Amino acid sequence: MIPILQLLLRLGCWLLLAPLLPGIINKVKAWVAGRRGPPVLQLYYDLAKLWKKGVVMSTLASPAFVMLPAVAWVAVFGAAMLVPLGPAGAGLSFRGDALLMLYLLALARFCTAWAAMETGSAFEGMGAVREVSYAVLAEAAMVAAVLSLSVQTGSISLVTMLAPSVGACAGLLAAGLFIVLLAENCRVPFDDPNTHLELTMIHEVMVLDHSGPPLAAILHGAAMKLLLFAVVLAQAVLPMDHLRPLGAAGLLAGSVLLVTVAVGLVESLLARFAFRRVPLLLTTAFLLCLFALLVAWKGGMP
Amino acid sequence: MTTALLLVLALVALAAGIATGARHPRTWLVLTLTGSAAALGAALSVMPGPPDWEWRSGFLIGGEALHLRLDGLSALFLALLSVVGGAGAVYARGYWPDALYPASASRGRAWWSALLLSMGLVLLVSNGLHFLIAWEMFTVCAYFLITLDRTRREVRVAGWLYLAASHAGTVCLFAFFTTLAARTGSWDLGPLREHAGLAPLFWLALAGFGVKAGVFPLHIWLPSAHANAPSHVSAIMSGVAIKMGVYGMLRFSGWLPVPAAAGWVVIGLGAASALLGIAFALAQNDFKRLLAYCSVENIGVILIGLGGALLARSHGNAPWGRLALAGALLHVWNHGAFKSLLFFCAGSVLHATGTREMSRLGGLWRVMPWTAGWFALGAVAVAGLPPLNGFVSEWMIYLGLIDAVANNDPFAWAVMPAVIMLAMAGALALAGFAKAGAMIFLGAPRTRPAAEAHECGALMRGPMLVLAAVCVAIGVAPVLFWPAVARAVGDWHPGWASAATPAPLLTLGMAHLGLAVLIAAAGVWMWCKVRGNGLRRGLTWDCGYAAPSARMQYSSGSFAGLAAGWFSWILRPTRRIRRPRGHFPAGAILLERTPETMLEHVLMPAGAGVMRVSTAVRRLQHGRLSAYILYVAAGLAALGILVLIESVT
Repeated sequence: MIPILQLLLRLGCWLLLAPLLPGIINKVKAWVAGRRGPPVLQLYYDLAKLWKKGVVMSTLASPAFVMLPAVAWVAVFGAAMLVPLGPAGAGLSFRGDALLMLYLLALARFCTAWAAMETGSAFEGMGAVREVSYAVLAEAAMVAAVLSLSVQTGSISLVTMLAPSVGACAGLLAAGLFIVLLAENCRVPFDDPNTHLELTMIHEVMVLDHSGPPLAAILHGAAMKLLLFAVVLAQAVLPMDHLRPLGAAGLLAGSVLLVTVAVGLVESLLARFAFRRVPLLLTTAFLLCLFALLVAWKGGMP
Repeated sequence: MTTALLLVLALVALAAGIATGARHPRTWLVLTLTGSAAALGAALSVMPGPPDWEWRSGFLIGGEALHLRLDGLSALFLALLSVVGGAGAVYARGYWPDALYPASASRGRAWWSALLLSMGLVLLVSNGLHFLIAWEMFTVCAYFLITLDRTRREVRVAGWLYLAASHAGTVCLFAFFTTLAARTGSWDLGPLREHAGLAPLFWLALAGFGVKAGVFPLHIWLPSAHANAPSHVSAIMSGVAIKMGVYGMLRFSGWLPVPAAAGWVVIGLGAASALLGIAFALAQNDFKRLLAYCSVENIGVILIGLGGALLARSHGNAPWGRLALAGALLHVWNHGAFKSLLFFCAGSVLHATGTREMSRLGGLWRVMPWTAGWFALGAVAVAGLPPLNGFVSEWMIYLGLIDAVANNDPFAWAVMPAVIMLAMAGALALAGFAKAGAMIFLGAPRTRPAAEAHECGALMRGPMLVLAAVCVAIGVAPVLFWPAVARAVGDWHPGWASAATPAPLLTLGMAHLGLAVLIAAAGVWMWCKVRGNGLRRGLTWDCGYAAPSARMQYSSGSFAGLAAGWFSWILRPTRRIRRPRGHFPAGAILLERTPETMLEHVLMPAGAGVMRVSTAVRRLQHGRLSAYILYVAAGLAALGILVLIESVT
């Protein structure tokens, strides 16, 4: 009985709470700009509406065009099941699950890029190229972060390795992972999720031709990915071990909220970067994670 | 006993295949399949556990008694050889039939059997001299297969380059085996781990086998040979033949002692091969060249695992090395399966459209749905994505290396960059195969041949199905394949012989299985849901542009441009640009070509330098007798002076 209840709670957290995050970001942006903005639950309404709508598909696209968003959603969902939720632990945990999580996110990226190329549109080609190319640097940063966490804890399992870092390492890791979060979730300053029709977009331009239920899967998957990164970031930096379960859950929720608000603030206060500066910023993220690794490694030496 | 019988059966069947290949294609196919099945059976019969199969006879070849041995390590490679060899034989019947290639098809069949036989012998013989003989036979058979279509000039050039490079490697191997025989007093091969004096020989073996394996700076022959060979030959070259180089490195780093620096040199070469190989792959426009460079990357991945194992072994047999080596060995199988599958797909596309240029293809999924599906599966596997086999082996290598870092191993400094470069290579592989799949199979056909292509026949689809099944099987049930890998690991280093799985392979397999089921269910469900909601077809939305044409699609060069730009320091792309000018621009051109950097910018200038020096020296030899007498007189005078100086001092 208890395991089933736990599973339901976990699914509820990931599936139902995730769409809240983009709503909060939009609210923060509206608040900074002095507007009222869309309701926090707007994405829920959008998802419900899209789920009932019909689909227009490019004449060039194969049936895989509507299936791949579902596959990408499953991949992100699978990655989410590996991430521990504070005191509740992870849905599935084993040695090396951190790598499976990274590669599941890569699978989602592959599916999105493949679906984008199905349409034969040059715009979506541009988006796909940017997505897969910038991922090279983001991946390097994430692996460096994984290495630094495993140096600290001597483990490669997310449940044990997401113990809080200490001192300079925590600061470096927080900064590095926050930049990766912005890049991987296509937020400002890497991408602007508000506009669709610029030549300068990454993720939004890749999903230009999607509609109906596949678009709903994409939007929900994106929200879930944002939540995943926020949860990982919070747990990599914040100490929660000594708290009681309820307190830890509260702290986790609070820090995820904080990360979300921070994303909203960055989006309000910063303009999108020119594309030639994007690799520079991602390299900075990589270097931050690399320094975190070096600090953890040399700091741990007797 | 069964092993011996099966090996004799394989030998007889393949030898008969060589004899009948030219005249009787059906008999040949049956014989080759029998031979492959028997060889696979022999490999499987050895895998469950010791003892090795060993056979010494009094029969002399070149004055040396024949000594055959099949242990876990060679059985692993023999299994790969027989699966790809059998699948390729069936594929060849559809891809290179007598009707289309009356002159070369019959020749190709005989050489195919000969290649399988000689590679099998390389794996079996346990005598230095016989190893060299088998190695040379294998090199020559492969040369004749690469140059099957020798009416084309670029095929002859590629074949010649392959032959020259292979023999440069063989020279190192000659030096290696003769020195080994001189130092030990016998050509016989076997474990000699206590002879510390043999360690420096490792560098000779690394160079000799490295050329065959296509390790980064030595890979010069690989792209053109793989691209110009018939696709079934490319498949076995990439899937199995270059693995013979890996086999040599594994065999002799396992049997002989290695120098202290071997580990980090191998891991460094591996990391460089992985990252630069895939960067070159990404920049290619020819899809077979892309696959060829991707082989360089995968050899790099295998060497990263081997290098880790060497480091761990040199430092008190740390258990993380076992995991890294197991990952490398499993990757040998995995790369053999998915790369052969991808080359079969490439052959099918080439067969249907007649071009290897990705920028001339597009939209092939409509006419070639099977090929497109298998290619997509192979692309997911080669990019190392779950739930397929590529991820399993890369995951094991990662796990071993990260263990080393987490335990604060003294070699962490060498391992950390390798892990990060492996991750970047993985992300670049994803980009490269998203590009290849998209350019070949997605969007609108860019040329007429692409629009009028056709699906390949059942003889070509069958082998693809087999290899795809192998990719899925290793992906979702890696534990089933673990015993074979564990046995090979034990043969490489007896200290690590143990059947226990060092990593939660079972859990990973279950997770992969669950993921695969969920993916299939979600895909089908989404399709049904979309059909239920109503599906309309419309023009691709190009910012309101109403008449998009196939030429407006993203091209192969533009797809690679961004990431390849970061590697332009080594890719050195050459560009020809004519920009549109004036109010009514006439023509504009942008041609970009990625050269074979190592060949064109390193080896050929070096070769030209040698030629210049030789030409200068040749001026001394001109046929004028008086000058020759002068040389002799000068030489004698010099000698006399030398003697004089000696006697004075």
